[in-house]
Amino acid sequence: MNPKECRYTKEHEWIRPETGGFGKVGITNYAQSQLGDIVFLALPNVGTRVEQFQKMGEIESVKAVSDLFTPVSGQILEINQAAANKPELVNQDPYGAGWLVRLKLSNLAELDKLMPSAEYDQFEAKLTEDSSH
Amino acid sequence: MQTLRTPLNKVHHDLKAKIVEFAGWELPIWFTSILEEHRAVRSRAGIFDVSHMGRIQVSGENAGAFLDRMFTRPAQRLAVGSSQLCLMCLENGGILDDLFVYRVDGEQYLIIWNASHSQQKLDWVLSQKEEFPDVTVRNSTLDTAMLAVQGPDAIHLKDMNRLSQLPRFGHAQAKIAGFDVRVARTGYTGEDGFEVISEAADAVPLWESFTQQGVTPCGLGARDSLRLEAGMLLYGQDMDTSTNPFEADLGWLVDLDDTDFIGKQALQAANKWGIKRKLVGFQMNGREIARTGYSIYQSGREVGRVTSGSYAPTLGVNIGMGYVPIELATIGTDIQIMIRNQLVDARLVSKRFYKRR
Repeated sequence: MNPKECRYTKEHEWIRPETGGFGKVGITNYAQSQLGDIVFLALPNVGTRVEQFQKMGEIESVKAVSDLFTPVSGQILEINQAAANKPELVNQDPYGAGWLVRLKLSNLAELDKLMPSAEYDQFEAKLTEDSSH
Repeated sequence: MQTLRTPLNKVHHDLKAKIVEFAGWELPIWFTSILEEHRAVRSRAGIFDVSHMGRIQVSGENAGAFLDRMFTRPAQRLAVGSSQLCLMCLENGGILDDLFVYRVDGEQYLIIWNASHSQQKLDWVLSQKEEFPDVTVRNSTLDTAMLAVQGPDAIHLKDMNRLSQLPRFGHAQAKIAGFDVRVARTGYTGEDGFEVISEAADAVPLWESFTQQGVTPCGLGARDSLRLEAGMLLYGQDMDTSTNPFEADLGWLVDLDDTDFIGKQALQAANKWGIKRKLVGFQMNGREIARTGYSIYQSGREVGRVTSGSYAPTLGVNIGMGYVPIELATIGTDIQIMIRNQLVDARLVSKRFYKRR
């Protein structure tokens, strides 16, 4: 199950909003299961300004490299150094220890463009169903 | 074109493997994790469904002479019960495929080639057969299955332990789990192991006879990372019709002395005049991974392309292969790879990244 307090993108990123207009960002359980073993994270530098739905990094699995998009606009405050050093944390705990960046949102209204967890659950179920046929 | 399914397709789905399309076949890329499967093969044993590999029977009077015309090493020199890796080239020396030839009996051979461009290769072989009217070419790919059982424990498995006398590249009829199969001591992982060809109908119980002994099901992802660590080339990526065997560092698969095979003249010339570029191995200095198609730089100049690149699970570093100008193709040469618009340091190393002890 995808955490209720998070909001989700169609590209399978999540953001967990915090009071004060901050938020941690990561990739969903579905995303990590599709990527397989993650071996390298190319994350934006602290201080970088990012625009909603634009590419902000890359995730390397053994097999392939995938783009990481930001769910919201804002400024990168922190990157998860533990996950950068040990990328398998993203596979093991995508909503917890495997978070990727923390940022300061520049426009809280952008959260309304993201899917609530119930909607993302359905979105994920549909994708899983399609790929099994 | 309809995607082809191996006789083990249902087993893969039942095991909840992640499935991809590869060379027109539906195949598992991993069952649980590429890293786990890779390590299982290096430390114990893994099993791969390689039924997508083409299996072509060539028999009849002059079958050996026909293959000697088609391939870069004479098949007629093979003893019955042995096999060899060789190449099929075009007249201009470009590589059409790398393949195994097994000598099964006097004028009876079995070819194992890559799944890609299967029909084109078969058409090419048949188009060259005019002078060999008594030779029969039969595609047995869909009637049979092929399993690769690889890793240091493979030789200790039930019914395999009786094959310890089988030399590397040797093959024989055998009974495994009660099924009549052809077993070859070959593989694409850099480990000891076997490739087992059975009737299609026997594939599922045969597979299960291995997995019930604890052999780990492995997918194409681990197959690729294992072969890259062992310095083995992947057709279509590390070589194709635009590369000749010397450029691909496969000169050892070309016999320019004995027979008159297709492409020999061009390859004699290439051997005489030398080559301009060569396939080399490299190791990244940092944690970035060079992927297929990335540009290779030296002294600020683009000098070549990466053909394969991956994290090497056994070595804990990132490795790859690519073509560079011959004057740079020396172990120890510093190069850079363009990754995410930045030049990242790497150095040339032996392509045999991993050597089993």
